[in-house]
Order: sequence, then structure tokens, then C-alpha cells
Amino acid sequence: MSDVVLRADDLAKTFRLGFFRKRIEAVKQASFEVRRGEIFGYLGPNGSGKTTTLKMLMGLVFPSRGRAEVLGRPVPDRRAKRRLGYLPESPYFYDYLTPEEFLDLVGALFDVKRAERRARADRLIERVGLSSARGRPLRKFSKGMLQRIGIAQSLMGEPELVVLDEPMTGLDPIGRKEIRDLMLDLKREGRTVLYSTHILPDVEMTCDRVAMIFAGRIRSVGPLSQLLTARLLSTEVCLRPGAAGLPELPAGARKSENPDGLLIDLPANADVDAFLRAVLAAGARVHSLTPRRESLEDLFVREAANQDQGAA
Amino acid sequence: MRRIQAIAWNTFREAVRNKILYSLLFFAVLIILSALAMGNLTLHEEIRMTRDIGLFGIDAFGVIIAVFVGVNLLYKELDLKTVYTILPKPLHRWEFVLGKWLGMLLTLAVQMGVMALVLGVTLWLQEAQFDAPMVKAVWLLFVNVMLVTSIAVFFSAFSSPFLSGFFALGCFLVGRSVPDIRALAAKLGPLAKTVLETGCTLMPNMHLFYPSGAIVGAEEVSVHRDFVSASYLLTTTGYGVAYSLIVLILAMLIFRKRDFV
Repeated sequence: MSDVVLRADDLAKTFRLGFFRKRIEAVKQASFEVRRGEIFGYLGPNGSGKTTTLKMLMGLVFPSRGRAEVLGRPVPDRRAKRRLGYLPESPYFYDYLTPEEFLDLVGALFDVKRAERRARADRLIERVGLSSARGRPLRKFSKGMLQRIGIAQSLMGEPELVVLDEPMTGLDPIGRKEIRDLMLDLKREGRTVLYSTHILPDVEMTCDRVAMIFAGRIRSVGPLSQLLTARLLSTEVCLRPGAAGLPELPAGARKSENPDGLLIDLPANADVDAFLRAVLAAGARVHSLTPRRESLEDLFVREAANQDQGAA
Repeated sequence: MRRIQAIAWNTFREAVRNKILYSLLFFAVLIILSALAMGNLTLHEEIRMTRDIGLFGIDAFGVIIAVFVGVNLLYKELDLKTVYTILPKPLHRWEFVLGKWLGMLLTLAVQMGVMALVLGVTLWLQEAQFDAPMVKAVWLLFVNVMLVTSIAVFFSAFSSPFLSGFFALGCFLVGRSVPDIRALAAKLGPLAKTVLETGCTLMPNMHLFYPSGAIVGAEEVSVHRDFVSASYLLTTTGYGVAYSLIVLILAMLIFRKRDFV
């Protein structure tokens, strides 16, 4: 069995809009792979091409260039779709249906028999915490409840791969945590999760690997640990100076006061060992030493800035 | 089959829960019942009046409901983006269109069934029967409505509801007027005649579905007498079904290539 469950190979999409058929390049170049059993984050600011990429992968939009494979089959392939669950962005469902009716419809589309559909619907309604609203039409659901029923419908076919487009958008912190926990549960069950988002703390808490897309072009792909830890931004040293005062600070270091004494922010290229030896020799007491590595937010902002410079 | 059935059933359920359709049905029933009052204004022609008004009501409201359902139920899937949830499921796009169409037909069958039932009760109150000619006439109107639905679905596969409704209704009006257009063409010059004749050949001849009062096979047919023969019923049904399927296949081909942005 292949380790890669989804492959986007040089995908691009250009729309032609309006009377004059104006060209809009929604996705310029997207290549990445999602591996079995991982949680893969697809990150990018609003309008960067995340949803269009996912729509190409789901067969809703035809690529202008490139090819995509889901579960070893070219998109859109019905056999692959049988093993796939998808939650669209800001999902819209048939609001005249109750959760039970809606999940029954989805189950029928997966050719699941009636008794099994009922059993699965019961399990999923319970799992996403909608038991008390099972007889209520979807039009009376809140945004968070709709997102939960959306997740439930994406699991109705018992998929190997679950693709969620912006599953956290519009949710309160508790709702976001529930979705995060659910994704981690899916991973524990051996399923693969691909989700798009621009909410970075969620990514840091859940994703094994990420791809970042800016203005329709993928800039970075890889494990979070690899993308982030390689870049040491600075080292923070918290200390209380001795009687002899502070030795001379390395070039580019910044000093500020804090309740424990002083906070020295050493640049990434500074010789931290030499500085520590000097301050200890001067009688200072060192409280803490914190290497400040690049956060996902730093990386995101830097890539966005690179993109802006490139565009200029 | 289960997938098509599921889409069809859901489409029917959506229509059943739509209040506008109830309003249309209410007005149709009102028109049919008005035949009772109108009949009193005539001299010994009450039953004839009930049959004519009743069939007119079923025809007119059947077509209006067909255009409404055909245009709206597919377009709403795109407008409300419910299609984003459904199409990534293991379902061919043609299955989706076919399921929607079958659901619409089921809706129309029930609606026309109710209208026919009301007409039957009205006739019964006048001590008349909903006899074989009436059954044949309502059947032909249903085939007509099926064709109108297919045309509405075809246009809504690529156009806005307003334009789709406009075109579908236009096709119906032109289709119903085919004999008149042909008669007009016969009086015109060769170029205009060719253009109109070609148009009449391409357009669905919907006059076939409402032939009461027309000459068929050198005889005038009327729902007040024997109406049409079984072979007429069969060939006209075949024509309606074949035309509907061709239009529906075109709609499926357009839908197959469409981006859902």
C-alpha cells in the first residue's frame, strides 16, 4: 500500500470572469504530497488559493494545468471518492433536513445499506455531540453545530482520507478545541487528515507536516519541526548583574529591564558561550537562557513578506 | 441506483417542504373548482365547461410548476453551494442531474395527480365521470410537463434562474404554437418558410400534447368524445420521452464540464 494518499503535481487554475473573460490566476503552482496517517495543514492567508486547490483535489474544479491523485487514482475517480470524506468551506447543507435525514442521504450516496446508515448516523451524531438536536432541522443550527454535522457527514463513508476546508473558521475557542481533538482522534484511528486554515496556533498543535501557499504559489512544504527549528532567531538571557556590572554586549544585542533584572536579547550569530563566560566572570547571576526559535507565525509572516517583495 | 434514488427522494422532499408550490397548487385547485360556478352560467354545458377548465388548469399550472421546479431546484444547489458537499461523494455528475430530474418528475406527478383528483371530484359532483379520454388527456399533459422540466433543467445547467425560466417558458409557448407557425410559414417566401420550418422541426412540438379541438389523422379530436387513439398516445409519449432525454443528456454534458467555483 502506497505511503502517499494524496498528490498534487504542479496544479494551476486560471478562471476567466466577466464579459471580457478577464484572467484570474487563483492557483499558479501547487505541488505537495500527503502521507498516510498524518495530519497535514494547508496554510495560507485569505484569497491565497487554498480552497481552489482543495476543490481541484475534490473534482469540483478542473485544473488548468497539472494533475492530482487521491488514494492512488486520478481525480475525480469514484472509487477514490468512496474512501474520501470532505467538508467544504462554510458548509451549506439542505436546511430542511434533520441531522438524521441528512446523514442518511449521505450514507445512501456511499451505497451504504439502510440499517448500517442508521447505525453510522447514530454513532456520528453522538460523536460530534449533536444527540440533543438530532430531530431539529438544520436551518435552526448555529454555525458551530453546522460545522459539527459537516464533520459527521465527512465521516459517513468511513474514509481513509478526510479533507476539511477551513474547519475552524467561525468557531469559538471551545469549538476549535473540539475540532482539533477530533482530528487527533481521527489520526489515532489511522485516518489521514488534510485541512486548510489560516489559524496558526491550531496548526502548531495538530499538524505533522504543512504546505504554505501565498498568492497561488506554494512556498514551503515539510514537517513543522524541519521548517521551524532550523532557524534560531535570537537567544534571550535573563540575569541580575554583579557588582562589576555588565561586560560589553555583542554587536546587535539589545538590553531591557524586567522584574528579575535585565533581559539581554542576543542576535542569532552571537557567541552565546563567550557572553555567558564574561557575565559570570563579572559576578552576574543568570536566571534563564532561552533560545528563541522561529514560530510558525514568524515563518508565515516572512514568507508573506518574501511573496510581497517578489510581486513588487 | 441507490444514489440516484437518494438524490431524487431528497429533491422530492425539498419540493414538498416548499411553500410556494403549495400556493401554486392551491390556485390550480381554485381554478378547477371555479368550473362549478362557471358551469352554472352555461346552458346544459356544465360538464363540458368543467372538463375544459379543469384540463386548462392542469395544463397551465403543470407548466408553471414544471418551470419553477426545473429552474429552481437545480439552481438552488449551485446558489446555496449544497453541491459542494454532494458532488465529492462517490457519485457521477450525470447521476446527480438524473436524480434531480426524477425527483422533479415525482413532484410534478404528485401535483398533477392532486389536480386530476380534484377535477375528478368536481366531475363526480356533477354526476359525470373522469373517463378514459380525460385520463389520456392528463397523461399527455404530464408528458408535456416532463419535457418542459427537461428544458428548464437544461437551461439552469448554465444560466440564471430568470433567464432559464424565460427560455423554458418561451420554448413552451413556441412549441405549443408549432401548427400556427407552420401555417404562417406556408404563406411566406421560400427563405422565411425554410427558416420557420427548420425552427419548427428543431423545437419540441408541444401542440401534440394538447390536441383537443385539433385535426389528427383527418379527424377532429376532442376530450368530449373518444379523444386520441392508443397509437397516438404511444407515439406522442415516445416523442416526449425521447426529446426529454436528449435535452437531459445535453444538460448532463454541460454539468459534467462545469467548474463549481
